[in-house]
Amino acid sequence: MLGKILKFILLTLLAYLLQVTAADYIAIKDVAPNIALALVSIVTVALGRKYTFVMAMTIGYCTEIMVPSLDYINLLLYPVAAMLAALAFSDKSERKIEEERTQGKQGKQINAHIRTPLAALVSILIFEGIHLLYIYLTGVELDRGHWSRALIDVGYTTLLSAVLQFPTRWWLGTYKLKKAR
Amino acid sequence: MNIKTPKTERKRSTSGRGRKFFRNTVVIIIVLILLFFAGMHLLVLINGNDTTAGPEKLVSRILTPIQNGFQKVVNWIDNYFYNLKLRSRLELEYNTLRQENEQLTYQAMLADELQHKLNVYETLYDDISINDSMNPLVATVVGKDPGNYFSVFVINKGSNDGVQNYMAVTVDNALIGYTYNVKPNSASVRTIIDSEASIAGLITSSRDQGTVRGTLGVNGEPMCRMYYLPEDHLPRPGDMVVTSGVGDLINDGGVSKSFPKGIPIGTVRESTRGMESNKQYIVVEPLADFQHVEYVIVWRYQAIAEDVEERASSNDELGYVPLDTVMPVPTIQIGSDFYQLAPTLTPSPEPTLEPDASPTAEGLLTDTPAPSVTPNGNLEYQLPEGAQTNNSFDFTLAPTATPTPTPPPMDFTVEED
Repeated sequence: MLGKILKFILLTLLAYLLQVTAADYIAIKDVAPNIALALVSIVTVALGRKYTFVMAMTIGYCTEIMVPSLDYINLLLYPVAAMLAALAFSDKSERKIEEERTQGKQGKQINAHIRTPLAALVSILIFEGIHLLYIYLTGVELDRGHWSRALIDVGYTTLLSAVLQFPTRWWLGTYKLKKAR
Repeated sequence: MNIKTPKTERKRSTSGRGRKFFRNTVVIIIVLILLFFAGMHLLVLINGNDTTAGPEKLVSRILTPIQNGFQKVVNWIDNYFYNLKLRSRLELEYNTLRQENEQLTYQAMLADELQHKLNVYETLYDDISINDSMNPLVATVVGKDPGNYFSVFVINKGSNDGVQNYMAVTVDNALIGYTYNVKPNSASVRTIIDSEASIAGLITSSRDQGTVRGTLGVNGEPMCRMYYLPEDHLPRPGDMVVTSGVGDLINDGGVSKSFPKGIPIGTVRESTRGMESNKQYIVVEPLADFQHVEYVIVWRYQAIAEDVEERASSNDELGYVPLDTVMPVPTIQIGSDFYQLAPTLTPSPEPTLEPDASPTAEGLLTDTPAPSVTPNGNLEYQLPEGAQTNNSFDFTLAPTATPTPTPPPMDFTVEED
């Protein structure tokens, strides 16, 4: 258990460090992906909402302190975006599944490997949407450049989460857990 | 009926619950700490007061070295990939530049070749344009005999182009040989260094005539020797040797052939005359470059018999030719005999053939004018201006400083009967 928490802490630290140091180096057309949100979305599906919140909050707080761009925005936006994605795509509880079954629904979980990029997609859409809204509210007229950058970021982050989920889930021991079940 | 759960399962469920409780507790603590830190940060942002910025500073102090180290690692990885990319790009550029260099080298070589050809053509054109009356023909060397004792090559012009045997062949304003074994579309050229070659030559400074022969078959040197020179002169090294135009040295089936007069052959290198009695020749270094012959000029000049005879007998400098003088020529009468030691040059009026003022039509029809292909005034080979033959020879045949032999003093003593 301690190993799991330790791995989680290391993953959180790694997500933050990769976001603030390495993201610029893997930019496509000068658009850097949001590695932190991609890893948070992986954690959302692999570990659950509590861990998602802790991770998103930690990353948001660290970025707010270390690389402040706008006041409050990182501190609030990371947890909000991650938690909204977690609401939709994290593992459903047994009670929730049972409720769905009683309502005549199928009551099944969508494949985790599909939910991970979807979670990343939702969180990055919220993240980029709020940024664009902020820019628009400051008086800047949104043009094709803004939209294209946002779209590239959304696509790149989603793709990154889809790719990174396999080694990350393996490292967190999710596949081992599935075998035990 | 109560079913008792085994002790191990009870233990496991107890430990599982405890683990879950512990995990939840840790997570809650972390969340609380995070919320506390976030709240403090919000207070700092709202109040602008640094008194609540303790947690921020703590986190910053912890994160900064970690971030710094991680940044270095990332930079190292980035540099590594950058160097890889740079190396591959440099390799690509190197290959591209190498290809360009090869192309440029090839183009430069081509330009040099074209420049060389242009120079050759210019030289040929100058040579031809000046001596156009000697019916020149430019030919390309198409084959060479790689022998060590004979030096011959083949040109791409033959009897179809008017080439005949024993026509002079020059290159760069210097005699290189003469044609033989002429075929319809090709001809062989025997060079002057071939030991089989024999050409009538003349030393320009002394006007001494002799026969120039090649030495390739004699001692293996690409030189010439000049034989049959008069014994009263010692040629100086550097004197120019040219063709004398005398044609009786070369025979083509009994028909005399001759070269144009004045084609440079070479320069006198050394003289063996006076050193050894059995080596009565001078060594002539040819002017022509026999190693790099690509284009040659064939002089399709045909000297008419009168010209050749005239030239053959024009070497009268060594003979006794009394000059016109105002001094009276002594005439001595001895006994009844009358001796005239020298002919008195008393110009006698000769009848001149004046043309009829009104030529008849019959005369025009019957008299066919003689062909004037080679007029007497153009018999000599003329060098183009600035021709590099390193000779001091003037082809207008200026008088040389070498004293001409004076006639022996005449004996004026009279014996009385």
